[in-house]
Formats: sequence, C-alpha cells, structure tokens
Amino acid sequence: MYKKWFLPFIAPAVILFTLVVGIPFVIGVLYSFSAWRGVYFKGGDNLFEAWVGFDNYAKVFRNPDFLNALGYTVTFTIMAVIAINVFALAQALLVNALGRAVGFFRATFFLPNLLGGLALGYIWLFIYENIFSTTLFGPDGLLPIDLLTNMTQDHNKNLLAMLIMFVWQQAGYMMIIYTTGLANISQDYYEAASIDGANAVQRFFHVTVPMLMPSITIVLFMTLANSFKLLDPNVALTNGEYDTRMLALQILRVPKDTSNNYGVAQAEAVLFFLIVAAISITQVIITKRKEVEA
Amino acid sequence: MTKKTVSRIVIAVVLTIMALVTLFPLWFLLINSFKSQAEIVKSPLALPHGLNFSYIANAIEKINLVPSFLLTVLITVVGVVFIILISSSVAWMMVRFKSKVANALLLAFTASMLVPFQAIMYPLINEFDDLGLKNTPGLILMYGGFGLAMSVFLYHGFIKSIPVSLEEAAFMDGANVFQVYWKIVMPLMRPTTATVAILNGMWIWNDYLLPFLVIGNGEHKTLTLSVYFAKIESGAYGNAWDLIFPAVLITIIPIVIIFLFLQKQIIKGMIAGSVKQ
Repeated sequence: MYKKWFLPFIAPAVILFTLVVGIPFVIGVLYSFSAWRGVYFKGGDNLFEAWVGFDNYAKVFRNPDFLNALGYTVTFTIMAVIAINVFALAQALLVNALGRAVGFFRATFFLPNLLGGLALGYIWLFIYENIFSTTLFGPDGLLPIDLLTNMTQDHNKNLLAMLIMFVWQQAGYMMIIYTTGLANISQDYYEAASIDGANAVQRFFHVTVPMLMPSITIVLFMTLANSFKLLDPNVALTNGEYDTRMLALQILRVPKDTSNNYGVAQAEAVLFFLIVAAISITQVIITKRKEVEA
Repeated sequence: MTKKTVSRIVIAVVLTIMALVTLFPLWFLLINSFKSQAEIVKSPLALPHGLNFSYIANAIEKINLVPSFLLTVLITVVGVVFIILISSSVAWMMVRFKSKVANALLLAFTASMLVPFQAIMYPLINEFDDLGLKNTPGLILMYGGFGLAMSVFLYHGFIKSIPVSLEEAAFMDGANVFQVYWKIVMPLMRPTTATVAILNGMWIWNDYLLPFLVIGNGEHKTLTLSVYFAKIESGAYGNAWDLIFPAVLITIIPIVIIFLFLQKQIIKGMIAGSVKQ
C-alpha cells in the first residue's frame, strides 16, 4: 500500500524543494564563477562563455566593504554570543531561584522574540535617537554617558546599539532553554555538594555549569548562527550607513554598489554559506561526541 | 526576616525591573501610536492626551495598511497550510516506506538547513522571474520550499513514534490512502502540526527580506514592507514617526494577542523547533 503511494505523496515536496532550494543552490555556486549581471552574462551568451574562474572571489577579498562587513559581523557575533548567554543564564537562574510567577517572567522575556526584527528595530531607533541621546544619557540628561548617545550614527557605537536590541530580543528564548536544562538537574547533587562544604559559587561552577553543558551547547550555537546571519536590526538601525553593514546586508547591497555585478554578489553569498555551514557542522560534531560520551 | 526571605525579595525586584525594561519598548510604541508627530518628538515619554485613534486611522489610510494586513494574513495562512500539507505527507511516506530514496531525501532536507537564505536568493529570484512567478503566488511557493526542510524533520521525528498498526487496521477495513492520511495520521500529529504552524507562521508574518526581493515597492505590500517603505520614503524630511509607530503597532498586535492566548503552546513549539534543529 505504502509502496504504491510513495511517489505521489513525495512528489510535491520533491518538486518544490528542487525548485526553491536545489536548483538555485547549484546555479548559485556556478554563477559565482561567472560574469553574471542578473539579467544577462557579460562577455558571452551563457554561463560557460562568461566563465571567469575565481575572479569574483579575488574581487571579494580585495573589496574593503566585504572585509569590513566580515570583521564587523565577527565582532558583533562574539559580543552577542557572550552577552546573550550571560543574560539568558542569569534570567533562568533568577527565575528558578524565585520559584514563583515563573510563567509570567518566562512569557514576558520571551515575547520580543516573536516580533519582527525590522518593525522592532524602528522602535529602538527612536529610543536610541530621541531618548538615549537626550533625556537619559545626553549631555543634559539624567546620566551623561557619551557612549550611549547617537549610537546609530557611529561605526563602533552601533555595535552596542544592535547588541542591546538583539539581547533584548533573544535572551528570553535562550532563557527558556536554560530553564529546561536547570529543571533536569537533580537536587541531590546540590545537597551532596553542600554537605561537602561547597559554597554557592562553587556549586554553580562545579554542579550547575557541567550539568548544563547540553543546554549551553545548544544556546551557544543558536546564538552564534543567529548573530552571524543578522539582517533586520541592521537594516532598521543604520541601513548600513557609517560602515555598519553586516555580511547579510553587504550581500544584499552588492548589486547596487557595483551596478549589478551579481557574479560578485553570488561569490560573497557562497562564502557566507561556507561560514554558516561550518558553524552548524561544528555544532553537530560536538553534540554527537557528547552523546557518545554520555 | 530570614536571610532567605531577603534574598528572594532582592531577586523578585531584579526580575521585575528586567521585565519592565523588556516591556518598555512595547509600552513606548503603544503610547506613541496615539500622538501627533510633534508630540512624539517633543515629549516621547509622556502619556497621550486620551485615546485619539486619528493618528492610527491616518496611517492606515496613508500607507494602505488594510490591504497590507489582508495580504499578510493571506500569505501567512496559505503559506502555513501549504507547508503543513506538503511536509506531513512526504514525511509520512518517508517513514512508512523505507527506501534509498527516503534516506536520500532525509539527507537532502537536513543538509539544506545549513544553507542560509542569502546564499541562494539571487538565483532563486532570477529563476522565479523567468517562470513568471515573481508575485504573491510565487512568494507563497518560496515560503513553502524554505519551510519544508525543518517541518519535514519535525514530522519525520514524530511519525517514527506512531505505531503503524493503526494505519494497517484502517487499510484492512477498506480505507484508502487519503482517508488514512487525513483521518488517522493527521489527527495523531496535531502537536507537531501546531509546532510547524507556529514556527512557520511567525517567520512568514515577520519576514522582511523575501517580500522585499519579490514585491519590493510594489502596489501590494506586506505589513513589514509597508513599515520599511514608510520609514525609507519619509527619511528625506525626517522620520514620519506618526506613520511608522501605528504601522509597527498593527504589525505586532496580532502576534501579541495570539501569544496572550496560546503562550504555553507557542513557547513549547518554538523550543521544540530549536532543540531538534
């Protein structure tokens, strides 16, 4: 019965998948080696006549915009992974320690994660420009801190602007993964550690952290991938002005920068894919190894 | 008071402050959706003078938010239903008829989760343009194709845990394959269907990039696109916050309302999606 109906049931998915993911992926890799201009090929009628080998890739690595975006993305990613993990874990531990109104705090911290990064980005843009830069941290504000003013008009300060917004959006989600992890740690370990004379800090580093390793791995790699691929807040806060493009936005702007040199854009896209895939594969390998050990 | 009580009060205070900070931008959005541009810029933190809906009405009219809203609902609902039907049926067969093809498919779907959208967006748009599908139906097809891998993965994992005997009994009783799929398999998979619907629904509703590439500044925009172009086009004269804030409000309100009712389900679904990735 299943054999007879196997093909008809898988056909729609296979066709759709081939059309939307399979073909564009293969074509995308091929086109990254050609002088593709979007609607035509420069210097030939087809892909092979317009073949340029690794020229596009060479151009990418000489392009200051790309290198800047790569550095900016890596810097942001490192900051975001650390900040989100610290906040999420702190929230999880605090909610756990309180043991009351858990549902309320979980829902509240989680809510920003459901909302669109672009729409939220504009709220934050206004908050940064018209509240942070004046009432709160402006020269005549409550607490003058230059670093927190006009953050969306500066290459370095914008990292902080994106960071605050992204932590706000992501921490609640990661907090719930940590809460689940904490719930799986048996109280016996803490009691045993207390009897042996371990204080709260020692209990945290010698019981909580090791027992929480599976959750930490998940959160670490999810934040790593999400931060690296960040686009919407980047568009909303600066739209790439003041050299604040991250990689996803950089790829989106290549055609405009180069009068439609889609071949170069595609080379950047392939490099982007390789980095993202490397991050995910590392995660899989680490998770598998942990499972074997456990 | 014991030491323990004091520390719990401190924790409660810290958490409450964090919760207030978390909710502040949304509160801020709400109060400023009822003010004029001048009031927003002059006193952004002040409460509005009464619930004056005229600014929201003005934004709705000026940037055509009613058609945008309907279009976004349409794309999200059709997209989600499409993904559910296609991914559940392929996953079901992949589990029930184990074969080399099924294994290869699972591998292909899993591997494709490594591919970020940026890696294929230009060839994809180019291909769909050639097919005459650079439009709303095309957009839904693209969401279907992208949502497929993770949804198949979720269904596949769930179906493995359903015993085949129920289906076999139904076949013995003379049910055809569609009846078994619709009346036995789909009802059993409801929890996974909820997860798939939530994950894909949120993503499609909020998405900016794909509609930007497919629709752009066209006549029929999704809500996120309307917000984007309201911001971009007002840039020359200073930002039109009295348009942007109501538009953002209308974009996020449906999600907030759904979340208030389906909190537990949504949180569970989102976590299930993440952990299985």
